[in-house]
Amino acid sequence: MTSKKTSIKKLYALSSEKRRYSFPLPLKHTIRIGKRDYEVKLKADEKFGTYILWKNRKYPVEIVRSRQNKYEILFNDISYTFTVETPFSLKRMKVLSTVKGKVETELIRAPMPGKILDVFAREGADVLRGEPVVILEAMKMQNEIQSPVNGKIMKVAAKTGINVMKDDVLVEIKPD
Amino acid sequence: MRIKRILIANRGEIAVRIMKTAKRMKIESVAVKTALEPNAMYLSYADQVYDHTSDTSEIPVFLDIEKIIRIALETGSDAVHPGYGFLAENAYFAQKCAENKIVFIGPSPDSIYKMGNKTIARRIALAGGIPMATGSEGNIGNEEEAAAVAGKIGYPVIIKAASGGGGRGMRIVRKAEEMERLFITASKEAEKAFNDPSVFIEKYIENPKHIEFQILGDTKGNIIHLGERECSIQRKHQKLLEEAPSPALDEKLREEMGRLAVQIAKAVNYYSAGTVEFLLDSDRNFYFMEMNTRIQVEHPVTEIITGIDLVEQQIRIANGETLKFGQDDIKLTGWAIECRINAEDVQAGFAPDPGKIESLSLPSDPCVRVDTGVRDGSVIVASFDSMIAKLIVRGDDRKNAIKNCKMALDKVWIKGTKTTLPFFRMLVRHPKFIEGDFTTAFIEKDLTQFYYNSEYEEMLAAWLATKLFIEENLQDDSISVDFRDGKEMSPWLLNKRINQF
Repeated sequence: MTSKKTSIKKLYALSSEKRRYSFPLPLKHTIRIGKRDYEVKLKADEKFGTYILWKNRKYPVEIVRSRQNKYEILFNDISYTFTVETPFSLKRMKVLSTVKGKVETELIRAPMPGKILDVFAREGADVLRGEPVVILEAMKMQNEIQSPVNGKIMKVAAKTGINVMKDDVLVEIKPD
Repeated sequence: MRIKRILIANRGEIAVRIMKTAKRMKIESVAVKTALEPNAMYLSYADQVYDHTSDTSEIPVFLDIEKIIRIALETGSDAVHPGYGFLAENAYFAQKCAENKIVFIGPSPDSIYKMGNKTIARRIALAGGIPMATGSEGNIGNEEEAAAVAGKIGYPVIIKAASGGGGRGMRIVRKAEEMERLFITASKEAEKAFNDPSVFIEKYIENPKHIEFQILGDTKGNIIHLGERECSIQRKHQKLLEEAPSPALDEKLREEMGRLAVQIAKAVNYYSAGTVEFLLDSDRNFYFMEMNTRIQVEHPVTEIITGIDLVEQQIRIANGETLKFGQDDIKLTGWAIECRINAEDVQAGFAPDPGKIESLSLPSDPCVRVDTGVRDGSVIVASFDSMIAKLIVRGDDRKNAIKNCKMALDKVWIKGTKTTLPFFRMLVRHPKFIEGDFTTAFIEKDLTQFYYNSEYEEMLAAWLATKLFIEENLQDDSISVDFRDGKEMSPWLLNKRINQF
């Protein structure tokens, strides 16, 4: 394992909507709002599990997923996904995104675990935005999974009768 | 003969709910333990638990008429309460119970059959001069016929399952081109859900309110209504929040709709608890939709404002008792709101999020009632519905009930799955909801955000993510910048780690 050690002064948490929160290191247990610093406490007890105490209010927190520098956090029952970046990785990310440009394929994933009841998508066919590609049954409801874009169907992974997990890729579409 | 022992042919919160009343009435209850939920909370409320865990059939025992009858006979139960869903509206099951000298706690097989078949119900309502949306004469055989009927009625139309309920086998069709595909999906879904592919077509009433009346009738022919419930907060025809009374009704309209609801129930000699559902349009015209011949999920809001225990009344009526109150004795006092807290991901279009409830903390307050079938460690299994709890809040008036609801919602802590809590926290702050200005299209049309977060919540979450990152990657202010060797670990392990702080 090769690892380059650098001195870091700051970390950034980037939300999925690309909002950026920066935190100087070492990480303080206070957050500044206007001119005042408010204490943030990460606590846990038998009754509530893990929670954050902020301005005299308890907020339940949970870590839903953590992979590399990506974190999905449930804060007061709402999910937030952040990637935590160092000034160096942030810069590299910016460079990469300008080189790479637009995404080539649109992946339609299963929004929930369930069973594939019907597949309308055919490889090589054109689809319109909103056109149903798959019927997924979950919790007794039939859900029409629609194409989010206009494009061409590159691959159909979903097969009638099979069970899928949440986030399994069902169909790959090349957007027009 | 008086009922002494009831077999609860159901699970979850409604099983608990029924057993609580049975206990108060000094009636024994029998619950069925299934392989899917061998540690379920409802089992601990029963006087006797029938172990059915050896059965690993894909069809739940609660849907199996022969097995339920056999269990009732084996356990010496003299009555069966079906709850809602499963066999609750199965006329054949009610008939089988009677044949085996078991009291079915619900209406007669004949009433269930007539109201359960929506095309027959439409005919009965039509004969009684009850206002209804124009629709097909009977069931529709195929997509060509559907297109022809819809053309005559005029789009938009709604396809409904003849034996349906709960939004299944139901599709709104806005254009002729969509008819073939939607007709087939609706019919397939109906066959799967109700074992009956027949569907019919009705004119679709745009942006209505869903108003339903609670009916109570005894076997002597006395039928009354207990006021209405407003259930317009729905998503894909699934109710999320209900309240009683409705902000849309005045005394005059309530009297008129209530009278017609009773009339419909009388037309089928109804007894036990039942619900007559109407749609109310923006010009205050109302249309009969259907009658549900069971106890409803949302029955508690009616119990709160009338002070009447509906399950107790169902049992008394099944015992052959006469109703002890008449229409004039029913007084609606205060306001009640029910929030259905489901294991669903509001941010992912309310997708079910089954899983284990790691911990659960519910408010205990005089103005709050919680009906639940789960506790710490319970598992919300994908095979059943996603309900975790019903939060039922009382207030002196609507404004006060909303205020109490807002407070109660902040006191519910559920860990382990995503829930509909953020949705309700948003709803009770939404100006249109507060005004009572909403229809069944509210979620799809009026909402831009499905959840509520106060200022700074995202920033605090960002702080936590950063803190975790430091714990995992940073020692002495230095860091491995290469993430290719990143690792995955269980979130619960991580939680344990933060717990050590």
